[in-house]
Amino acid sequence: MRHPKGEWPGVNTLLRAVGDSTVGKSSICQVFHSDNSHFSKNYTMTTGVELLVKLVNIPDSKDKVELYMFDSAGKEIFSELVQKFWEQPSVVMVVYDVTSEVSFSSCAKWLERVRCQKPETKLPGVVVANKTDLDERRIISPKAGMEFAESNGLKYFECSAKEMQNVDAAFYYLANEFYKLYQEKVEIFKTMS
Amino acid sequence: MFDVALKSAGASVVLASSSDEKYPPENIIDGNSDTFWSSTGLFPQEVVITYTSMMRMSRIEIACYNVKNVMFQYSKDIEPLNFQDLFEKELDSTDGQLQLEEFPVNNVEAQHLRVVIESGHDHFVSIHKLTVNGTAIHG
Ligand SMILES: Nc1nc2c(ncn2[C@@H]2O[C@H](COP(=O)(O)OP(=O)(O)OP(=O)(O)O)[C@@H](O)[C@H]2O)c(=O)[nH]1
Ligand SMILES: [Mg+2]
Repeated sequence: MRHPKGEWPGVNTLLRAVGDSTVGKSSICQVFHSDNSHFSKNYTMTTGVELLVKLVNIPDSKDKVELYMFDSAGKEIFSELVQKFWEQPSVVMVVYDVTSEVSFSSCAKWLERVRCQKPETKLPGVVVANKTDLDERRIISPKAGMEFAESNGLKYFECSAKEMQNVDAAFYYLANEFYKLYQEKVEIFKTMS
Repeated sequence: MFDVALKSAGASVVLASSSDEKYPPENIIDGNSDTFWSSTGLFPQEVVITYTSMMRMSRIEIACYNVKNVMFQYSKDIEPLNFQDLFEKELDSTDGQLQLEEFPVNNVEAQHLRVVIESGHDHFVSIHKLTVNGTAIHG
């Protein structure tokens, strides 16, 4: 993350997207990254970690957050490889598919894998319930999702990457949370001398 | 002997991995530990300081916060390249007060000093002051 002097883009945030295979992590990241212009119906399995970078404006300020989105493989066979990239995320996004009970019950496991890296450090996070367009096949209710989020100190969001509906909100929330954390820490630095 | 890394002595920061204009890297070498440079997320973080000329260094002092693994490197080249390791240390977390560290340097000659923060005790770290005692090499 080297920038020539004077070209600092903003608070640098490493977002880790986790969840079972096929829940839509790559789709969500790509929809957000492409300003809601790109969704792929065809499934391409992520086999390691993919990185997308986007600048996010902070409302009511001229500040920006540079979001590094690390979208990692959900398939367990890649987990050892992915584990190498686990160090020091800034924020976490746990994704499940509202039509899959298994993917929902895996959320706790994914969250734990990220959090156990630095248990003493505050890690802002969200739970994203994806594929809300598959309404008639939905088995995980908003209530269940919200309860899981709340009991784990996370914020709950619902979206459909396919319909490009409400995908951005979770990313903006996380960017804002990390930006606020930076402001808080700087205030602490100021009290020291 | 003087502080060869001091901005008012002509030293400058030529590279920094974070540079929020409110807390710029120049604050590290202004001789004042009230002002600071803040990292703005992610690791590693680094700062490269260039001296006015080749210096013989005898001691480095740093005042920082939330730093965990820190590494110092130096270069003798005209350009800030070909850095060699000087020393490395893991610092304890100091709740509510600055981390103050002192390292003797055995008269190593350098044109540039690089501070690499490989990890922190939190998402963000700060460096409030860096002092390098040394002498200019004439000739
Ligand atoms: N109906 C519907 N399908 C979706 C949605 N989001 C993603 N998909 C589809 O679900 C499949 C898997 O999506 P991916 O984004 O590749 O899933 P992933 O979580 O990245 O999977 P891994 O890379 O294996 O971990 C693809 O065929 C997508 O087109 C959605 O909101 N609605
Ligand atoms: Mg994927």
